[in-house]
Amino acid sequence: MLSIKDLHASINGKEILKGLSLEMGAGEVHAIMGPNGSGKSTLSKVLAGREEYEVTSGTVTYKGENLLDMSPEERAHQGIFMAFQYPVELPGVNNTYFMQASLNAIRKARGEPELNSLNFMKLVRTKLKALEMNEALLKRSVNTGFSGGEMKRNEILQMTLLEPSLAILDETDSGLDIDALKMVSMGVNSLRSPERSMLVITHYQRLLDYIQPDYVHVLSGGRIIRSGDKSLALELEEKGYGWLQQEAAA
Amino acid sequence: MSAALLDHYQTLAATAPKAHVYQAVGQQRLSLVELPNRKQEAWRYTPLAPVLDYQFAAASREDGLLVPEDVAALRVTPTDHVCIVLLNGFFMPELSTLPVQAGLEVLDLAQAIQTSAAGIERLGSLSGECLHLFGAVNAALTGAGVYLRVTEKLTQPVELLHINYSFDSEVLSNPRVLVQVEANANLTLLEQHAQFADVLGMHNGVTEIFLSEGAELIHPRLQNDSLRTRHLSSLHVQQAASSVYKGTTLALGSAWSRTEFHLDFSGGHAHCELNGFYLAGDQQMQSMHLDVLHSVPDCSSREAFKGILYGQGKAVFDGNILVKKDAQKTDARLSNDNLLLSRDSEIDTKPRLEIYADDVQCSHGTTVGQIDPEMLFYLRARGIPKAAATSMICQGFAAELIAHCDYPALETKALSILQERLAPVAANL
Ligand SMILES: Nc1ncnc2c1ncn2[C@@H]1O[C@H](COP(=O)(O)OP(=O)(O)OP(=O)(O)O)[C@@H](O)[C@H]1O
Ligand SMILES: [Mg+2]
Repeated sequence: MLSIKDLHASINGKEILKGLSLEMGAGEVHAIMGPNGSGKSTLSKVLAGREEYEVTSGTVTYKGENLLDMSPEERAHQGIFMAFQYPVELPGVNNTYFMQASLNAIRKARGEPELNSLNFMKLVRTKLKALEMNEALLKRSVNTGFSGGEMKRNEILQMTLLEPSLAILDETDSGLDIDALKMVSMGVNSLRSPERSMLVITHYQRLLDYIQPDYVHVLSGGRIIRSGDKSLALELEEKGYGWLQQEAAA
Repeated sequence: MSAALLDHYQTLAATAPKAHVYQAVGQQRLSLVELPNRKQEAWRYTPLAPVLDYQFAAASREDGLLVPEDVAALRVTPTDHVCIVLLNGFFMPELSTLPVQAGLEVLDLAQAIQTSAAGIERLGSLSGECLHLFGAVNAALTGAGVYLRVTEKLTQPVELLHINYSFDSEVLSNPRVLVQVEANANLTLLEQHAQFADVLGMHNGVTEIFLSEGAELIHPRLQNDSLRTRHLSSLHVQQAASSVYKGTTLALGSAWSRTEFHLDFSGGHAHCELNGFYLAGDQQMQSMHLDVLHSVPDCSSREAFKGILYGQGKAVFDGNILVKKDAQKTDARLSNDNLLLSRDSEIDTKPRLEIYADDVQCSHGTTVGQIDPEMLFYLRARGIPKAAATSMICQGFAAELIAHCDYPALETKALSILQERLAPVAANL
């Protein structure tokens, strides 16, 4: 599904990713943990195509194609979805209108028929219900004045609508109350399938109780310094990152 | 050149049919007035060649022939609502849908003057002072226009449709609109300057609005004149105690456009909201001038203006709020936000609060920005192509302001004009 080899990326001349490699097969769920500022969001944004980051070397292959050649919208059309750590407010842009435009842009790019407003509303209502989300949020401007938790649910709503092949969740669990966390996890688990892969970035082992990952990686200083199964997350919870960073430095 | 232009307007004035004593004020003023120039504060940032390089001929009632179907296509209200049509400034009863309900009187301005209709003596009393050249021209040629008097709470909105269209080009329409909303009455007046043909003319309109105690006027305005037209609208509003004025002006059209708002309170606890949106592209200049005077205590005003500029578009925002010494407890907020889509576009923004009272709440703020890359990336990451995403951000920026119109058919019309204008721009960014 996704193969990242020796990726170096910088912003404003400052190198953030320093030789990162990661292999993800179809149907797999990978968790990435790591200290603040280690480059987790940078990795998500590079994968989603944020142009401000300069990839100086390395390769990213997605479904056999060079991902780095694609514009952000092409990546979305090819099934990549990134739930933002900090979703962006779009004042004056109606949330329903935005989601319909998004789904239809992707369907159009794939040669599928676009959904009319009526059918879209039907679809979005079923997804809303599953996430126990307040319908009033649909009528508001995208993320504008949303609470932190509402924004994160709104990201998950978009994910369940767009049904991506590769979902990257950047700290979608941060700032969620316990019920919301369960809801978000349900949303994620409902999408798990043999064709779909997920990259879940989190600081908390708790999320991984709900979304059981196949692999856990530790990202530190712009590189993956340790990979393991979900027991690694428990170990990190107990010991922190210090011992790993020392090992990596040694 | 300048002498020739003054001569031209003085001759027009001298030969105009006499309709009102107020014409003499205008004529006298015309003989004294200086041509607008950039040394004057009120015109400092405004390019003037587009209006000073032409000798526009005065429109006559016979210019331009329209049939009711032409009007129907331009309206935003249902066809059974009152719709007052001004063609080249002249009130056209045969093209209008006139009121049958009580509480609303619509009179041809010249007739109202001749018959001394109740309240007509107020004509010119708000616009009289500090006339500039075009104000003086409008006064000196007083005759075209309409008088609206509201005595009840009207449930249906009334449309005021300006159409500039004549067989000759370079025609000056010179309407004057007088609106009187009596005590505790209210009105929604949807004003459109609609585009019927691609004419090069000049619209030189003056509107005087009197709101009696407890009266309310909701006044959305869409200026979508032809992109070759020159458009000047001077609005003068006087608010008695506890009255409410809510005006939202959307200036999309014209090669050169200037909207002046002169607002004054005469009694306490009155509230005014002035909102404006402007769009300026290549060969377009939009300017907004606010002159809000708080001279009595306990009134509030909100002024929110936004603009989108692209290509070589130019805009001027000149917003003045003056709070006089006795105007305690005044609450006034002024904002101006601009979105620039190109390096060559230019905004001159000059918000100004002048406060002489000590117990007031006033604020002003201005922003000039570009498309936010974070927003653009968010939309693109959701599969929306760059051009459509850019358009969507602009529409959102404008939609917040346009929503103040509170009339969906007008909002939809404005947004679709905006979409049409911005789509090719967004595609080339
Ligand atoms: N525009 C920028 N200019 C300079 N440095 C930047 C810029 N953007 C991000 N960085 C730096 O890149 C580093 C990695 O940031 P990133 O957001 O990827 O960290 P993270 O692992 O997601 O952290 P967190 O756990 O706090 O979310 C940080 O040190 C950050 O300050
Ligand atoms: Mg982060």
